Amino acid sequence: MTSKRNIANVIGVVLKFTVLILGSIFTVLPFIWMISSSLKTPSELVQVPPSLFPAVPQWGNYKEAWAAAPFARYFINTLIVTLCTTCGVLVTTVLSAFAFSRLNFPGKKTVFSLFLATLMIPGEMLIITNYETIIKLKWIDSYKAMIIPWVSSAFYIYLLTRFFMQVPESLYLAAKVDKCSDFKYMIKIMVPMNKQAIFSIAILNIISSWNAFLWPLLVTNSQEMRVLSNGLVRFQTEAGSSTELIMAASCMLVMPIIIIYLFLRKYIIEGVTRSGLKG
Amino acid sequence: MKLRKIGASILAMAMATSMLAGCGETAAETTTDTQATEQTSETAEPAADTASTTEEAAATTEAKNIEATEITFWHAMNGNLESVLSEITDEFNNSNEYGIKVTLVNQGAYGDLQTKLQASAAADALPDLAQAYNNWLTPYLDKIVKLDDFVANDFDNWDDIVSAYRDECSEFGFIHAVPYNKSTYVLFYNKTMLDELGIAVPETWADVEAAAKTVMDSKNIAFIGYDDLAGAVEASLHQNGSDYVDATGAKFNDDKGLETFTYLSGLYNNGYARLVGEDGYFSNVLSNQQIASYVGSSAGVSYIKAEGWDLGVAPLPGNVQKAANMAGTNIVMFSQDSNKQLAAWEYLKYITSTDAVTKWAVGTGYLPIRQSSYETADYKAYMEENVCAAACYAQAKDFFFSPTFDASNDIRSTVPSTVESLVYDKADAQTWLDTVVGAINAQY
Repeated sequence: MTSKRNIANVIGVVLKFTVLILGSIFTVLPFIWMISSSLKTPSELVQVPPSLFPAVPQWGNYKEAWAAAPFARYFINTLIVTLCTTCGVLVTTVLSAFAFSRLNFPGKKTVFSLFLATLMIPGEMLIITNYETIIKLKWIDSYKAMIIPWVSSAFYIYLLTRFFMQVPESLYLAAKVDKCSDFKYMIKIMVPMNKQAIFSIAILNIISSWNAFLWPLLVTNSQEMRVLSNGLVRFQTEAGSSTELIMAASCMLVMPIIIIYLFLRKYIIEGVTRSGLKG
Repeated sequence: MKLRKIGASILAMAMATSMLAGCGETAAETTTDTQATEQTSETAEPAADTASTTEEAAATTEAKNIEATEITFWHAMNGNLESVLSEITDEFNNSNEYGIKVTLVNQGAYGDLQTKLQASAAADALPDLAQAYNNWLTPYLDKIVKLDDFVANDFDNWDDIVSAYRDECSEFGFIHAVPYNKSTYVLFYNKTMLDELGIAVPETWADVEAAAKTVMDSKNIAFIGYDDLAGAVEASLHQNGSDYVDATGAKFNDDKGLETFTYLSGLYNNGYARLVGEDGYFSNVLSNQQIASYVGSSAGVSYIKAEGWDLGVAPLPGNVQKAANMAGTNIVMFSQDSNKQLAAWEYLKYITSTDAVTKWAVGTGYLPIRQSSYETADYKAYMEENVCAAACYAQAKDFFFSPTFDASNDIRSTVPSTVESLVYDKADAQTWLDTVVGAINAQY
């Protein structure tokens, strides 16, 4: 009986690990492919059958890619825009979610419905009108143009409102009895209780902001204001593309995100599993 | 409590004031905007017919009276192309007597430039000058400055511009652009492989089929590939003496069309031709000797790495006639201010002068837009060393350009995927013809 159970256990473990290993391969392979392609020669890239690793790693690809555009400047710009939009999004989202979930004010449901209604409009439709607004404000080629339109998100507000609503009202009333102000209650109780959801929102926003391409391209003109993703198109022309350089630049582009992930993975995994969100 | 009420009242007042101020500002802006729009449309409309008079005056009498100004030029030239463009532009900025300063703005790749131009046209924020393909321009044709009078009154020999480029730049019934970074499709081939197999460079479709059979039999690889499938269909139809499309629909639903697709489907179904796949361009496939030749833009020659074999470049093979696609953009002027128009024109004249054109062509591999450039010692020396330039020159008389109309952009994006599925299905020539004609006509 025991041996049968042992065999069943072993089979279970083997199956589990097989599935996990296969899953990891599927997830990691594109990433490994990107890194290996960034170190290949152009002819190795189209070799048939393809090779997983380059015969001689072409580290020069990174040097060449780095020199093709002012990537250091792009990096700083991307960092500034990502940090500012993420901070902005967190502030507006937490405040709005708290207002919608706990405070009572006239027209609350209507305003919330209007917020929800904006989710039905595809972002692409708003791009031109937003661009016109930026031109009229004379914000072209400024950080403001890249940051301000993205410091609030109806989707994140809706999401966090649902999380805040799950916190029992009795806690709020108890805090009120203890003469706790709304702001203090929000900072001391609501935010710590929902930190996983807030973390998820921050991560999602960091990823989308880091990868944003079209908007920064539209609202900037000078090289000093461009971001990393704009630099990637430097290697494409009408007649060909230097795939190995695109891959080298892509590796440099995603590296900070990977580093953030390695440092914060505990919170990210908690956030994703608790909030049911993923990027 | 009282304090809070007072605070609330002050806040409410401040909000109301700012809202009112906001409304006032918007109204004022709206009025100005409306006026501006009216003005633009007023000037834009007659620009088609009568702006010529204003521009003529501007071009003749005010030509030597240009105030110092800054001109913005949006382009999509990257890498070495951008360096050469910057160098020529710096020369202009430093040498022009009017204090004109041209600022180059890199807008990424062609697709990004197109997106940004379209968005900026909608937002009335177009630059003074921009590179553009004709088929990008149809949605905002009314915002383009007509150059007929500039060309007539203040240009050094317009007839010196290669005639196919002139035709392309006046496709809409007026001169809407000056040609600049022009390339053409040529046949890149593995000279070592062809020599080894005793194959002469193919000049006709029959040569291609014969060469392809030899390569397939001895090397078991495809002979030819096309970077641009829509361009391949269009060029093949022209080479067979057929028309492609016009504003009313496909023009090849006949015997000539069927012959063309018999040739193309035969190449693919016999494995003589192959698709490029994910890589997008055949330059790497040829570099790796996995194909014997391919048809692609002459601007792509730098992407071919001929290591251990020699590269050959030849004009496109023809059938009843020769025909070769032109590629590359022209420069369009959008500035509405007459002083800026004059300043931008000075710049355009400078960069399209024989010397600047030769410098651009030798530095980048693009084709000279001026006949006189081909005659310069510098370019002759360049052609002697550069097989690609020589092949392009040899087929300059066979250039054609794709016509532009409302549906042309959609046709251009539909044909490649249609052809790909026909290749995968190993469809026969009649199916090719019916499917391509159907796919094109569905875009109108």
